Amino acid sequence: MNPPVAGDLCPPQRYTHSTVQLFRFSAVSWNSHRIHYDAEFAASEGFPDVVVQSTLHGETLTRYALAWAGPNSLLETVSWRNRTTAVAGEPLTWTGTVRTVEGARVSLEVAVLKADGTPCVTGTVQLALV
Amino acid sequence: MSTLDEVLTRARSLVGRWEDEDCGTVTVKDFCRYAAALNDADYIDRAREREATGAPVEAPALFLAATMSWEDGPPERELRPDGLAARESPCTEGLPVRQVHGGQTVRLLRAPVAGSRVTASRAVTSAERKQGRSGPFVLLGLTTRFTTADGTELTAVDETIVVMEAIDSPGTP
Repeated sequence: MNPPVAGDLCPPQRYTHSTVQLFRFSAVSWNSHRIHYDAEFAASEGFPDVVVQSTLHGETLTRYALAWAGPNSLLETVSWRNRTTAVAGEPLTWTGTVRTVEGARVSLEVAVLKADGTPCVTGTVQLALV
Repeated sequence: MSTLDEVLTRARSLVGRWEDEDCGTVTVKDFCRYAAALNDADYIDRAREREATGAPVEAPALFLAATMSWEDGPPERELRPDGLAARESPCTEGLPVRQVHGGQTVRLLRAPVAGSRVTASRAVTSAERKQGRSGPFVLLGLTTRFTTADGTELTAVDETIVVMEAIDSPGTP
């Protein structure tokens, strides 16, 4: 990878979260909120299916940023805001744009988008290139 | 007093009051199961290889931040109807509310290493009443600091929780 500069676009990454993954992530993170594994309950709260955990979005924002930056990168900070919910099986796209490069520190604007481009989550990831 | 007013009153009485929670001694198995839930087989391979050679094994970066609670329980009968425990749903015990995460900021200061005993110190930092597109809500701010037994800070998390009236609650628009 060439040295990053502000404005660089990271290749978008397309993915979905399965219901099995949402269940396993709830289990391993001791998150028993029923909106994440009980579709009937999720519907009672107005969601079309079981809801992707906020912290799983945080993982996605971070992991694709680290994968883009390569094996010599470390996560320093990740910050995100939930805009709307995503559900199991929904096609999602991770996007990233280099915001700043200061020495070995790279800051990315990142987002998770729905199929129509609506952002589910927006945030920033700050990495150290070591 | 409305449900959201009650949440607000409870939350404001807790602002700045820190509580410690023992996360126990974190293990390679904890880390690998977390990575497995993320379909990260490479992490598992690397962690087990390092463990086999006696090298320190660092947790996945957001392992501490993503774990919602370090309690031993509670049993199911003590959960709220939405499945959350009282610890995970501050200020809402017995109240007809629904809630979602607003967002988080996670700062990684030092990676937790398998074999470390970790403490989570948490406090409500703010509580505000807001008006959104789908009605009023209370925005709770919480901060959690994860440290080792010698006081080394590992991870700092600032998060917000959006608390709304339950859909079938009388005050719900």
